[in-house]
Amino acid sequence: MGNTPSAEAKAGWTLVSPPAIYVLLMLAAPLLLVFGLSFAGLEGGAKVSLPLQEGQDLHFTLSNYAKLFCWSASDTCSSTDVRMAQATATAMGRSLLVAALVTLTTVLLAYPVAYYVSFHVHPSKKSLWLFLITIPFWTSYVIRVALWRTILGYDGAVDAALGAVGIIDQPLNLLQYGTLAIVITLSHAYAPFAVLPIFVSLEKVDRSLLEAGQDLGESRWTTFLRVTLPLSMAGVVAAVLIVFIPTVGDYVTPELIGSGKVPMIANFIETQMWKLRNQAMGSTLAVSSMLIVAVVATLFVLANRRFLGGRK
Amino acid sequence: MTTPEEKPVMIEFRDVHKYYGDYHALRGINGTIRAGEFFSLLGPSGCGKTTLLRTIAGFEDISSGAVLIDGKSMQGVPANVRPTNMVFQSYAIFPHMSVAENVGFGLRKDPRSKPEKAKAVEEALEMVGLKGYGGRAAHALSGGQRQRVALARALILKPKVLLLDEPLSALDKKMREHMQVELIKLQRQVGITFILVTHDQEEALVMSDRIAVMFEGEIAQLADPETLYRRPNSKKVADFIGTMNFVPCEILSEAGGKVEVEAKGLGRVTLDGTQAPPARGETPVVGLRPETLTLLYDGQQASDRATEGVVDEVIYFGDMTYYDVYLGGTDVEVRLSMRNVPGRPILDVGSKVQVAWSPDALVLFR
Repeated sequence: MGNTPSAEAKAGWTLVSPPAIYVLLMLAAPLLLVFGLSFAGLEGGAKVSLPLQEGQDLHFTLSNYAKLFCWSASDTCSSTDVRMAQATATAMGRSLLVAALVTLTTVLLAYPVAYYVSFHVHPSKKSLWLFLITIPFWTSYVIRVALWRTILGYDGAVDAALGAVGIIDQPLNLLQYGTLAIVITLSHAYAPFAVLPIFVSLEKVDRSLLEAGQDLGESRWTTFLRVTLPLSMAGVVAAVLIVFIPTVGDYVTPELIGSGKVPMIANFIETQMWKLRNQAMGSTLAVSSMLIVAVVATLFVLANRRFLGGRK
Repeated sequence: MTTPEEKPVMIEFRDVHKYYGDYHALRGINGTIRAGEFFSLLGPSGCGKTTLLRTIAGFEDISSGAVLIDGKSMQGVPANVRPTNMVFQSYAIFPHMSVAENVGFGLRKDPRSKPEKAKAVEEALEMVGLKGYGGRAAHALSGGQRQRVALARALILKPKVLLLDEPLSALDKKMREHMQVELIKLQRQVGITFILVTHDQEEALVMSDRIAVMFEGEIAQLADPETLYRRPNSKKVADFIGTMNFVPCEILSEAGGKVEVEAKGLGRVTLDGTQAPPARGETPVVGLRPETLTLLYDGQQASDRATEGVVDEVIYFGDMTYYDVYLGGTDVEVRLSMRNVPGRPILDVGSKVQVAWSPDALVLFR
């Protein structure tokens, strides 16, 4: 009947192979290519433009990475390289700052929503609420960005509203504060991503634990702090990662909201890859940014490991 | 030793009603629970026993009436300041904390120093037989251990009343019987009021000083276990507590506290009317417990009355045998239990037997 371990293993492999092959082709292979290209160089330090010309031979080099550390001009660092390294560092820093702010805003706003739906919405209405929360996803992100331009821009909805109630007499034009506008737009876009994992973790909290907390002398608020919050931290951590990781690499928002004046790291990668046709340098930036995100995410998970799986 | 009646009142219910929308969950509960008593709320599921317990804990508001703890009305007093602690049916052990953290959960506002609190936790764990378990992960405990942690966590706060919501229902039979005895011992040791909610009549009989039997939001009878068992005040209570045979009867005469009845298969019997539960206008029956009926073996004489019968069914239980017997050539069947001691062979189906009984053991329901 095919119940022997080897037959089961075979069946298992058969079942996982289509997605596994897909992942290998679509994710692992391009990643490896980018990783390889980031160490690629040409004779005489010429930029690596694909496809290669006749007679060009790629060789292994660390010079792409070295260029990221050109803090001052030297034999190996031209003044262009120095400007480039500084601008890259700024963009990377901005990416991390924007991602951190977006994550903070999103999670702080999403938690009460998730809490309300989990604890105060009648079970039969919970699906409806979750469905409604996903409404922002129904329109294309580009359209939502365009709408945010209208809302935040000169004499836009925000200016009109604040002007009408007399808080401001000059238009604020929030759009001119590129980073702020990017944070507002991205926070809105990622809110549902943060609500869902937090909601799921709150749903798993045994309600009798909350009664136990109160029975043992804690108020509703202190019970929340000592019981509900720690038990839902797995969802919060998931939400943080889900929001943080893609926002670091966001490319559309700075382009459309910030009009390219406040580029993030993804815009730099795009410039290297397509405008400058320096695929090796583009790959180097991509790998570096991936590495930084990986380190930040790992540190965050480690800092919260007592809430995850390994319960005391 | 003082009898429960002499002890001060700890809990008092005054005409407590509870509605869930249109559903009348508690229908005028009255009664008192005394300090140091082991009290049980017994009834089938949906009878309101857990709801009543939760009104004491402060997890349910009552629609009307009053719940008093130690003489104080609990109206508007939230659960976290009531002098009660609860052992939840699911135990509600905090999964993100160690055993010691669970037990010490309620000590946050305790003014004692950290080492003193740690000592109190260790003592509480020792009391429930979990000495040295403090460092363990709460989620790695067995059902019995979780329950002990829940007990220690509640008792460490020295409540006036410990509330136990079906605490033994999740345990297997052996463990349950073991914990019953442990809980009785623990209650004697700490001396506080224990209020147990259970649907298991045996458990209630074993553990309690007094029992309130509840049906459909009302207390049907509030009495000590022996009275409940021997003198149930209604057919319903009699049927719920243990096994009782009901034999249809006809009331012949009633005078001077004596009631003469003609019980089908048993014959004419004179009963003490003052001992009988109040009349409810039901079709009269006499009830008798299986162990008050005895099969007579060869050479044995009935000390009181005896009736002929035919064995219809034999149910062997190891230490006991249950016989279903048709009485005196009628279609009235009673169940009787006989201890399997030497000299008492197990009888076959169809055997003609003599059944001895005593009118004193009969309870008249009418």
